[in-house]
Amino acid sequence: MRRWIPYILLVLIALPFLVMYVGFFMQAFGEGMHLGIIPEKFGFSNFRFLWQPIAWGLGKTTIWVTLLNTLIFACVSGAIVTVVCMLAGYALSRIEFKGRDFFMILQLFLHAVPGHILLIAIFFLLFYLKLLHRIPGVALARASLEIPLGVWIAKGFFDSIPWDIERSAMIDGCTRLQVWYKIFLPLVKPGIAAVFIWGFLFAWHDFIYVYTLLPGTVKLLSTLIQSLIATEVIDYGYLAALSVFYMVPPLVLFVYLQKALLKVPIFGGKGL
Amino acid sequence: MISVTLKNLKKYFGEVRAVDNLNLQIGEGEFMALLGPSGCGKTTTLLTIAGFYKPTAGEVYFNDRMVNDIPPRSRNIGMVFQSYALYPHMNVLDNIAFPLKLKKQPKKVWRKKAVEVAKLLQIDDLLDRMPAQLSGGQQQRVALARALIKQPQLLLLDEPLSNLDAKLRIVMRAELKRLQKDLGITTIFVTHDQMEAMTMADRIAVLKSGKLQQVGTPDELYDEPANVFVASFIGTPPMNFIRGSLLKSGSSYVFECEHFRILLDEVVVQKIRRFPVTNNVILGIRPEDVEMGRGEIKGEIYVVEPMGRDTLVTVKFGDVYIKVLTSSTVKYSIGENVSLSFKSDKVQLFDGETEESLYVKGRDER
Ligand SMILES: Nc1ncnc2c1ncn2[C@@H]1O[C@H](COP(=O)(O)OP(=O)(O)OP(=O)(O)O)[C@@H](O)[C@H]1O
Ligand SMILES: [Mg+2]
Repeated sequence: MRRWIPYILLVLIALPFLVMYVGFFMQAFGEGMHLGIIPEKFGFSNFRFLWQPIAWGLGKTTIWVTLLNTLIFACVSGAIVTVVCMLAGYALSRIEFKGRDFFMILQLFLHAVPGHILLIAIFFLLFYLKLLHRIPGVALARASLEIPLGVWIAKGFFDSIPWDIERSAMIDGCTRLQVWYKIFLPLVKPGIAAVFIWGFLFAWHDFIYVYTLLPGTVKLLSTLIQSLIATEVIDYGYLAALSVFYMVPPLVLFVYLQKALLKVPIFGGKGL
Repeated sequence: MISVTLKNLKKYFGEVRAVDNLNLQIGEGEFMALLGPSGCGKTTTLLTIAGFYKPTAGEVYFNDRMVNDIPPRSRNIGMVFQSYALYPHMNVLDNIAFPLKLKKQPKKVWRKKAVEVAKLLQIDDLLDRMPAQLSGGQQQRVALARALIKQPQLLLLDEPLSNLDAKLRIVMRAELKRLQKDLGITTIFVTHDQMEAMTMADRIAVLKSGKLQQVGTPDELYDEPANVFVASFIGTPPMNFIRGSLLKSGSSYVFECEHFRILLDEVVVQKIRRFPVTNNVILGIRPEDVEMGRGEIKGEIYVVEPMGRDTLVTVKFGDVYIKVLTSSTVKYSIGENVSLSFKSDKVQLFDGETEESLYVKGRDER
């Protein structure tokens, strides 16, 4: 009997979350709900936004436009994070320069600064750069929040590649550039995937930057869901279905890229 | 094949003088070992020859050509690194053929050459494996094959045997030596293992804290060490050292220490180039040059270490310990009183202050 006690305790702790998840999926796929969790039957009527326009204030929008906007936003942000972090990570890992350690510590410090307190400054910055209200501009601002820690992640990947491998390639006849794309690129693929996912996910889930810096007419999934909550009558099934839809792309990306993430090469040689 | 000349080569990392004014010439087709303890600048020297480090001062010549400004990839060097540095994302065949692929040679050509080199090193059955699936010895051969495939004019080996187990190391020692002689490639071999250097190299350069101590054939280093460091570093079990003073006694010389005095042989006295200002000297004698059983040096056996064919006996005189290599046929036991004598022509003498050899030969080499 005794050994059941930990399990009972754990189940009790997990129960509220499990109920939430069950309720969430019931809401999304169920029709004619009782008590908010028991459906009369299952169906896809909550997913009608897939083929119907979505009411949007006085106008209308479609899920596909919103999805495209969100994808562009997250991909641009992910791409910026990847490019900046990979280049900076390489430099920080391989090149000796004055102030390198200070720079690394500065990055950690910057990471500790919450993004929200920068909102107003970024608003004006984008305004003067004529990037306000544009997806790439806001993606750039969003990316800058993830770059500090991303640089550390990228540096770690470069650090794990021994100098000797690089030297060996140069002896074998590679130019610096060839060393980059014949040796480094294949070896840091998992790093690239990790940093891209990093940038992509945070942008995908971002609400406050999108909400503040993009005009009301440009909808992303996060702001779309928020606007549905902000109406007087909330259709919970519809909202849940939309949320399921919101979850799918990051999951797909993650499953697709996790293979690359796990394929960290083992460096041949003693203890490396 | 090329000869390599290092002229006043210096490489400093800030305060650390990794290579300090190194002058060394390596002849065409020669097998040169760089020998020294950990951290003495062997790898740094090798990386400077390869062109990865710019010398702080001094020059590197290949034949008569100064190569300081030529990048590593244009030096036509083959190199095996301490860690082997195989490309983890390529299989063995691609690893070996990598230098040829870079030269845009057609697949038929590089494939054929890679298989040839692999056969030479007996790894032709491993061509499809990834580096992570190889043992240390196999990785070492792949690294060697990759270094050899482009037919380099200079081969640099950085402790290639240090990651192998003791048995394989002895096998590879002989194989590597044979291979070097067959191919005739000028080779610089870095090691901290004096046995490896002695058995494989044509000549050995001994380094300590970035400074060259002595260059010479294994026999020269063994018989005529230039200083106490070289004498103690080369040979197992290591040479015995006894501090004492050198006194003139009639027409000959006597070495005297606290516990005994010995008359120096005429041969030894003639080798002495100069006498130290203070008569403070260090006498060196190898364990195999000490004879047990007779002589005027009397001591007590401290410990006995059988080693199969030979037995290593440590004899104690007050606070001086002398190791003696004797045949295992005579048995000794701890506490026994014995008398010893030194083979008088094998005695080494060093200045007690500078630790340099007092003999003519060893010093004039430099
Ligand atoms: N990149 C570097 N920066 C600073 N100091 C260095 C660097 N490389 C080597 N050193 C220093 O130079 C000295 C010589 O190093 P080196 O690697 O040449 O030694 P080694 O003889 O190859 O030793 P080991 O047998 O341990 O490989 C050491 O004191 C080392 O700490
Ligand atoms: Mg080394």
